[in-house]
Amino acid sequence: MLLEYAAIATMILVTALVAVIAVVLGSLFGPKRPHARKLLPYESGMTPIGPGTRRVPVRFYLIAVLFILFDIEIIFFLPWAIAFRELGWYGFWAMVVFNIPILIGFIYEWKKGGLEWE
Amino acid sequence: MDASQIIFFLSAALILVSALFVVTARNLVHAALWLIATLFGVAVLYVLLEAGFLAVVQVVVYIGAIAILFIFAVMLTRRDLLSQSSQTNANWPVALGVSALSLAAIAFIARGFGFSLDRPLAPVPTDSLERLGQALVSPQQFVLPFEVASVLLVAALVGAVYVAMNKK
Amino acid sequence: MTITDFSVILPVTLLTAWASILLLAELFLPRAQRPFLALLAALGLALTLGISLAQSAQEFAPGFGGMVVRDGFSNFLNVLFLLTGLFGVALSYRYNQRAQIERGEYYPLLLFSVAGMMLMGQAADLIVVFLALELLSFPLYILSAFAYPRPQSEEAGLKYFLLGAFASGFVVYGIALTFGASGSTDLARIVASVAAGSANLPLLTAGAGLLLVGFGFKVAAVPFHMWTPDVYQGAPTSVTAFMAAGAKTAGFAALLRVFGAAFPALAADLSPLMAILAAVTMLFGNLIAVAQTDMKRMLAYSSIAQAGYLLMAFAPFEIEAARTMAVAGALFYLLAYTLASFGSWGVVIALEKDLDRHLSIGDFAGLARRSPWLAAAMTVFMLSLTGLPPTLGLVGKIYLFRAVIEGGMVWLAVIGALTSVVSAFYYLRIVVNMFMREGEPAVEREWWLEFAIGAAAVVTVVVSLWPFPLFEWAEWAVMKLF
Repeated sequence: MLLEYAAIATMILVTALVAVIAVVLGSLFGPKRPHARKLLPYESGMTPIGPGTRRVPVRFYLIAVLFILFDIEIIFFLPWAIAFRELGWYGFWAMVVFNIPILIGFIYEWKKGGLEWE
Repeated sequence: MDASQIIFFLSAALILVSALFVVTARNLVHAALWLIATLFGVAVLYVLLEAGFLAVVQVVVYIGAIAILFIFAVMLTRRDLLSQSSQTNANWPVALGVSALSLAAIAFIARGFGFSLDRPLAPVPTDSLERLGQALVSPQQFVLPFEVASVLLVAALVGAVYVAMNKK
Repeated sequence: MTITDFSVILPVTLLTAWASILLLAELFLPRAQRPFLALLAALGLALTLGISLAQSAQEFAPGFGGMVVRDGFSNFLNVLFLLTGLFGVALSYRYNQRAQIERGEYYPLLLFSVAGMMLMGQAADLIVVFLALELLSFPLYILSAFAYPRPQSEEAGLKYFLLGAFASGFVVYGIALTFGASGSTDLARIVASVAAGSANLPLLTAGAGLLLVGFGFKVAAVPFHMWTPDVYQGAPTSVTAFMAAGAKTAGFAALLRVFGAAFPALAADLSPLMAILAAVTMLFGNLIAVAQTDMKRMLAYSSIAQAGYLLMAFAPFEIEAARTMAVAGALFYLLAYTLASFGSWGVVIALEKDLDRHLSIGDFAGLARRSPWLAAAMTVFMLSLTGLPPTLGLVGKIYLFRAVIEGGMVWLAVIGALTSVVSAFYYLRIVVNMFMREGEPAVEREWWLEFAIGAAAVVTVVVSLWPFPLFEWAEWAVMKLF
């Protein structure tokens, strides 16, 4: 059973390996001549003022929450889609009914400007 | 010890260690990143239990969406205010006592439940995902909770938009 | 899928669809037409109420493979929840305009919440119980924070949300353990597995305990009541009125359904625990309420204390006859509480002219001269909450106390009676203020509000003079429950 996941495991390993290799090789063989100016966030630009991290607009939160909601909707689609052939038209209409409230919610969100970035 | 047991112990260790870091990390972004490691370990456990769909849900919803929301939420706060403050308050001995009691209660109940390492896994049908899809819309099973879930999502959506958008 | 399935969930479906349409209507109606939304919401609730009443004569029917049922219990509660919704709209209509929170989302959210409550009354499966709990709670979290730029309202919403989510976690954990113990989330099958001896009883007890914590939060029972005063005080008063009646009734609906129907085998273990919980809630709620001077906080503690009286219904679970009477008494008392609670919150709304200043008990001084009818109505509600004649509150308390005594828990009835005496102190203090002190209270005249207050007061008095048909209805409602 576990062998079915071998492909996923391989992919995770390879991507992790590539990331590690890129960092390790760079730090091992790259030339290192540190200088105070070079370590600035913008090497030849403005001198930064204040902390490097700022508070992001609340927009990000809204986008993330909406993403979760539609993510959950997609998750419900997955098993339904696999059983779709056996379910036939009944299954189709069940999913339509599931989607109507979400569609209304989507229209609401759109009209309210929840999808605009100003 | 076979392969699945090795994987189990590795992922269990990952879960415990990263969960510890989630609550002890001073930088909240780091805590959120450690949380992703914890969630991933749980996804591996689902795979070991042959609950593939739950593993997918874990990755897509928890790692893919909720962890992202956490990171955004951390970035919404004033971070410098938080990183210096103490991580515990005066109530921590009480919390420790309650947690220890809860653990003891869970252990007591689990002991009576007859868990054992050499009990074989209940056989999982190969078409389990298909059956889930059928159960989800079957009128004799879960079609009502399924439709109610969509109404619940809308209520949450309206709330999220209302809270974030109404500045007037 | 059959016609019965649809007919069982018809009221909930109608209300949900109505709420969705209202949400769309809000988007496309011009701003000047906003007041129509309240009317539309009331119309939807009234329509659903009509259908629920029409269905009330019909027999017990399960729907969707036992996920939901329609029985006397759910019918009684459906009517109660829809009345709660109608009262909620009536109290909100002008108040929201005054408080400048007349935003279109208000009524759809209120309707979603009522739909969740109704689903709770009909749920026969723990999954539906959980979904209904969330569906009724989500809108309430948002409504608590509805007066957006006001910090108190935001704080109320956040507190309610965080603690509510925590309590939901307990409910989910309890459902998981119950499922693990009995192999099913269906209440009937849980009972069957306990009867057959195949359930794991320690695990089931743990699950039941966790469910009790979660529902205890919803009904604001001590020691899960911490959020109540802050949330009731911070939320817009129209929302508080709706929440105080609706969320509490829904929490008790869940408790009665789950603990009454699914865990009778645990009754022997749980009834002492429930009795202690009831006693602590009555004592704590009433004693703290005495010390309050802020009106909203006092009513919040009063609602905690009322939860204690309602919890008494779970104490006499070992004796069959007492159990039926206790649950019927609880349903009856829920109706009496809903009326008195809405009425008193309505009077608070009528007096709350300056929304930034908290209404104190002293602000009631001189109300009898300024507005005698309002003062009379408030007196009725205070008498009802105390349990004095001629009100429904007295009748409900008599039913509850009688059941508890027949169940063999005389000490609990004594605590109930003593704490009622304590409660008379703070309830009647308002009556004294209204009639015997001089003052110039500012009263808002609002037709719908006055109508709602008047209706609640008249029903509280008139029905209490001949309460037997109502109690028979409540008794009939719980017949099929066990």
